[in-house]
Amino acid sequence: MGRFRYLLYKDYLLLVRDIAGLLLMFVMPILLVVLMSTLQNSTFNVVNDIHVPLLLVNNDKGELGKAIDKEITSSEIFDVTTDLDGRKPSLEDVEREVAAGKFMLGIFLPEDATEKIRTNVKKYVVCAFNGIDSIPPKELVELSIFIDPTTKASFYSVLMSTLRERAQKVQFEFILKEMTSEVNKLSPIPISTNKFSGDQVTLKSKFAILKGNKIVPNSVQHNVPAWTLFAIFFIVISLAGSIIKEREEGSFTRLLTMPCSYTEYLLSKSIIYTVVALLQFGVMLLIGVYILPLIGLESLNLGSSIPALFTLALSSAVAAIGFGVCIGNISGTYQQSSVFGSISVVMMAAVGGVWVPIFLMSETMQFISRLSPMNWGLSGFYDLFLRNEGFMAIMPECLALIAFGTICFIFAIIYNNKHRLDL
Amino acid sequence: MHNNFAIEINDLTKTYKGKKHPTLNGLNLNIPFGSLFGLLAPNGAGKTTTISAICGLRKFETGSIYVHGLSVKKNLNQIKSVIGLVPQDIALFPTLTAMENLRIIGGIYGIATPVLKKRIDDLLELFDLYGSRNNIISHYSGGMKRRINLIAGMLHDPRVLILDEPTVGVDAQSRKLILEKLREINRTGTTILFISHYLEEAEEICDQVAFIDNGRVISQGSPKEMIDGNCNCNNLESVYLCLTGKQMRDCNG
Repeated sequence: MGRFRYLLYKDYLLLVRDIAGLLLMFVMPILLVVLMSTLQNSTFNVVNDIHVPLLLVNNDKGELGKAIDKEITSSEIFDVTTDLDGRKPSLEDVEREVAAGKFMLGIFLPEDATEKIRTNVKKYVVCAFNGIDSIPPKELVELSIFIDPTTKASFYSVLMSTLRERAQKVQFEFILKEMTSEVNKLSPIPISTNKFSGDQVTLKSKFAILKGNKIVPNSVQHNVPAWTLFAIFFIVISLAGSIIKEREEGSFTRLLTMPCSYTEYLLSKSIIYTVVALLQFGVMLLIGVYILPLIGLESLNLGSSIPALFTLALSSAVAAIGFGVCIGNISGTYQQSSVFGSISVVMMAAVGGVWVPIFLMSETMQFISRLSPMNWGLSGFYDLFLRNEGFMAIMPECLALIAFGTICFIFAIIYNNKHRLDL
Repeated sequence: MHNNFAIEINDLTKTYKGKKHPTLNGLNLNIPFGSLFGLLAPNGAGKTTTISAICGLRKFETGSIYVHGLSVKKNLNQIKSVIGLVPQDIALFPTLTAMENLRIIGGIYGIATPVLKKRIDDLLELFDLYGSRNNIISHYSGGMKRRINLIAGMLHDPRVLILDEPTVGVDAQSRKLILEKLREINRTGTTILFISHYLEEAEEICDQVAFIDNGRVISQGSPKEMIDGNCNCNNLESVYLCLTGKQMRDCNG
């Protein structure tokens, strides 16, 4: 153990003397997290169907206007605006604002809409109760809806359903009321339907998501763990470079003639780089929790189990470092390792869902993404951040990551003994 | 038993993958205890392969190597403490100071801290590097790097010191200092295996030399015996050229 301490000391000193490398390992992921979270924020909001800007002009003072106003305003989907610079917009204003892209949707409710519905219903009911076959002419009630051409079809559908439902409910209530009034004229016993409620069926909903199924994170929940994983795996380049540099400089030859095994040599490097990876992880979480909210993004919710979070970060570090050790051994030159290391990490990130979230990928790509260790890590972080899961839920991901790292590490030792040391 | 020589090499063969001819072809070499032994050979004759095999850095097909009676195949870990290798490359960490390098190397050899500190100070004084002990190695001159490389190889007080071209690329002053100190170290009983292309150096300091060519020893003895035994030769270089020929050798050993 005493000897191993000096190997650790050596790797620690080599790392801290490489200021540029250290800066790259910490500053690069911070910039990536901040930049990508900001850039992708609006995209994720669209994916999450939230905060769709909607201009609502309600000129109707009756039940229909009130019902639609209440429904739209209380919805979590729409970001509702009701005036422009303190004045009520006209029909032309609504169209112009939507056309200019300031709002994705615009609704214009004309004056007396409720009154017209009431009048129409009354005419129908009275005719029906008096045996008049000919239908009296009705006054059309026209709600104007303006849609930005880029608006997602789902928003439009939600809005149309809401409006249709509210209009029908108001009509139904008026029909019931008029019919009751007509019946009371004929019936010796007065009947009342005031206490009748149309809400006989209630809809109870909750997320029922099985592990591995689709779950949609926000920009921060995706980008912080995703780019942290990317940064952890990017250590591969520095670690592999360090192994090759020592091999090329000759200090590696000296170490081999000293009483320390190649496994000890690699383990020492791995431990130092694991500490760096965990520090990176901690810094990234702090950025997610404290810095991103300062620039208008949501704060990162760390879930309910910090030990589980640490275990997942450690497992990811083991996978990345095993991979780095492997590249450092199979690459013949520094150039080879930096090119192969960076390309392989970028590919793992792309396939693993770091750049393009998995839920936006095709079925085939979602299947292929399961081959990337970054996908395992990211999936684990989703479990912790989005599903508030604990230690047991991330065990499969942790074991897969550790197994990947260990296999890479063992392969590196075997390859080195067979091809480099010729032992 | 193999306790008669500091290094005993018997019938050593080694053929690299993809090469038609063996680099070591039945090499036999006995290096007496306490000698300052020069191993001289043209490029590609097998010098580096021989010292790599002695240090356990390369495997060999047949033959055996014993260092202080210990088999390289069976007792490599013990041999690592007996041998000190000074490779031709500056085998140090260039971004660390001389002191840090030596502390790490001594620590890995398991030398206790107070002993190590004294040993480092003594060797730095001996090789005139004490004043620059806290400088980064990459800022050292070529001669200083050679000397600190030498110190690193002998920090654990090895009984056998193997030096691969220790004076390559150094000025006359550093070269003189290195050779003087090697003689001093040898006088304390340390066996030194000295590999060099500078034949006048070997003639000057070695008590025994061996010429290797085509993977085997072609001649061995004291420099004087070698010169006297080869007519028309008045120095070791002429003996060397007489035995190995004047044809260029450019392949790697």
